[in-house]
Amino acid sequence: MTKRIISLTVLVLLCFTFVTAYAEHTSDSSYIYDYWGSANESLNAFELSTVINSDNIEGVSIKSVDDVYYHNGQIFIADSLSNAVFVLDEDYNLVKQIKIIRDTEGEIVVDEDTNKQAILSAPEGVYANDRYLYIADTGNNRIFVLDINAVDENGEHTYPMNLVINKPENMVGSTEFTPSKITVDNADRIFVVVKNSTEGIIELNTDGSFSRFYGVNSPTVSLIDFFWRSIASKEQREQMSKIYAPAFANVQTDSDGFVYAVTTDTASEEMAFRFNAKGENVLRKFGYSEILGDLPSGTAAEGDATKSTFTDVAVTDYGVYALLDTSMNRVFLYNFDGNLLTVFGGKGDTKGKINTPSSICWMGNKLIVGDSKLACAFVFTPTDFGSLVLDAEEKYFNGDFDGAADLNQKIVNMNANYDHAYVSIGKNLLMQDNYADAMYNFRLGNDKTYYSTAFAGYRNLLIQKYFWIFAIVFIAFVVWVLWTEVSYSKKQKKLEEL
Amino acid sequence: MMKKLLEDFKYLTYVIFHPFDGFYEVRFRGKGNITLGAIILVLFGLLNIISYQYTGFIMNDNPQFAMNSITTFIFGIFPYILFCISNWSVTAIFEGSGKFGDIFTVVTYALFPKLILDVIVVILSNVVTAEEATILTAISAFGTIYFAFLVFAGLCVAHEYTAGTNVAMIIATFVAMIIIIFLAVLYITLIQKVVSFGYAFSAEFMKRW
Repeated sequence: MTKRIISLTVLVLLCFTFVTAYAEHTSDSSYIYDYWGSANESLNAFELSTVINSDNIEGVSIKSVDDVYYHNGQIFIADSLSNAVFVLDEDYNLVKQIKIIRDTEGEIVVDEDTNKQAILSAPEGVYANDRYLYIADTGNNRIFVLDINAVDENGEHTYPMNLVINKPENMVGSTEFTPSKITVDNADRIFVVVKNSTEGIIELNTDGSFSRFYGVNSPTVSLIDFFWRSIASKEQREQMSKIYAPAFANVQTDSDGFVYAVTTDTASEEMAFRFNAKGENVLRKFGYSEILGDLPSGTAAEGDATKSTFTDVAVTDYGVYALLDTSMNRVFLYNFDGNLLTVFGGKGDTKGKINTPSSICWMGNKLIVGDSKLACAFVFTPTDFGSLVLDAEEKYFNGDFDGAADLNQKIVNMNANYDHAYVSIGKNLLMQDNYADAMYNFRLGNDKTYYSTAFAGYRNLLIQKYFWIFAIVFIAFVVWVLWTEVSYSKKQKKLEEL
Repeated sequence: MMKKLLEDFKYLTYVIFHPFDGFYEVRFRGKGNITLGAIILVLFGLLNIISYQYTGFIMNDNPQFAMNSITTFIFGIFPYILFCISNWSVTAIFEGSGKFGDIFTVVTYALFPKLILDVIVVILSNVVTAEEATILTAISAFGTIYFAFLVFAGLCVAHEYTAGTNVAMIIATFVAMIIIIFLAVLYITLIQKVVSFGYAFSAEFMKRW
């Protein structure tokens, strides 16, 4: 009877236990890939907080969101259907709607050749830095460079024109100059993506003259294709469909001046790139898997295994980058080393899902995801777990390893499936020469290379500690050898005497 | 019985270092022991399980959460038994004089050095770093190569083949292994089809009456 009463009391008490919710605005679950490539449950790191659309913002009618970009307190939204670029402030109030380009005197710019007023037509890309706002005026095959800091007497932004870039006269190649996405590095070189261009990214000089095609994306050629091609005659080969280099979908520069690029072409070998000045892919791949989004082997949380195709990339100052996938409409966050941090989003029209993803950008620690069909931009805010993850990555990137390890310890207390945090903790312990604990953490994080380093240190300590055992064994061995030699020679001598 | 086993085990240590002489004695002078061979094979299967679980973390690429000791055991010894069967079936046609017992003894005796080396590898793998792991891989590879050499020598003697014929026979053995596996898979699939048909038929039958 007493047992019953106790268990009943416990049951009642259990009903009133308060469990801290780490993601209170979302019912979504998240997943993460482990060392074995299987998808394990993980905590949700981002949750939908605000929706930017025509209903929520006074005085605008957004018909499509083709690109979003955030810089220095201003959100820029390129809308190809209403032929405008919207500028919002951090509280999502409209600052300016750019449809017509004006010069510094406030007069409408007139094109000298065609004698037409400079009106935006289907702009698909927008980029901003401290001095300029760049708009890819896709419909008119030109790029506008506007002054971002100019204000009129009322203190309102005017965005007067600084430069217009038409098709450069010295441009080579067969690519049409229809700029779709645009980014600028810290030396003011302009990188332009043209949709379906097989020649790579167009690099322009600061004055708008053509510099070169940048970055080459190699297509995958299957062995069977290669075989048939090798035995085909020249005429047959001409009739076969050509394998083109996959086109890039988007570009983004990071704070070090490297260019991140992504592709939606499934024929591409790699889906995400980080190009150095030479145009080589130097994306770091030290995570558990390649940077492919959903893994073909792993069954993701919703039971699908389609290849992820990325339409946009957003990079933070501390190397964490978000890839926006168009096949399952998910957002994949990777850190600088290529470890998968979290996955969120998904196909659908419900809260927290994305219908037609078009663009992504960071706003501080928040992520803005543009949805072209629903004509809105979703603002995703990090949950408690997500903030910890981002803080830990920032600290780690900036060299505060102790701080990062503390945060990672908190993270694994929340989410034991978050394997790469164990490796981070282990690395910090290894730097402190705490080998045994480092080994334990590397084992949990399945990192054999670092485990081996920690184990070497641990083994050295053991040998130092128990050196006398090794010494005794060695001395005993030497004595035994000497003794056998001596007794053998004695025997020989005895035999000789006989 | 035990005494005979011990005696034959002592002779086994001679065989692995002097394979041609040793296997001749084993084949024609009754110094072999099928029971001893079977014991080695079973130990080898057990070693497979042990190495799956207890190889050191640095060298262990097995998902331990998915371990199935019975499957590991069967898949560990199955290739050797299959090799014996198909070698016997091939050589029986091509004038090989070895009986099935002889082939089995040769293969299992040849496994003995590999068994010992693998035990050493499993133990040492727990105290090496990633750089030193290559040495253990080399030891293990040496065990496999030496096994192949012993099998080759043993089969030459057991079947009274020349080296050239023996090579041809071993190639034919591998082909036979593939055929056996193919037939086995085919048989299992067909049986499954029949069983599922019978099941569906009886289920339908019982639902209607």
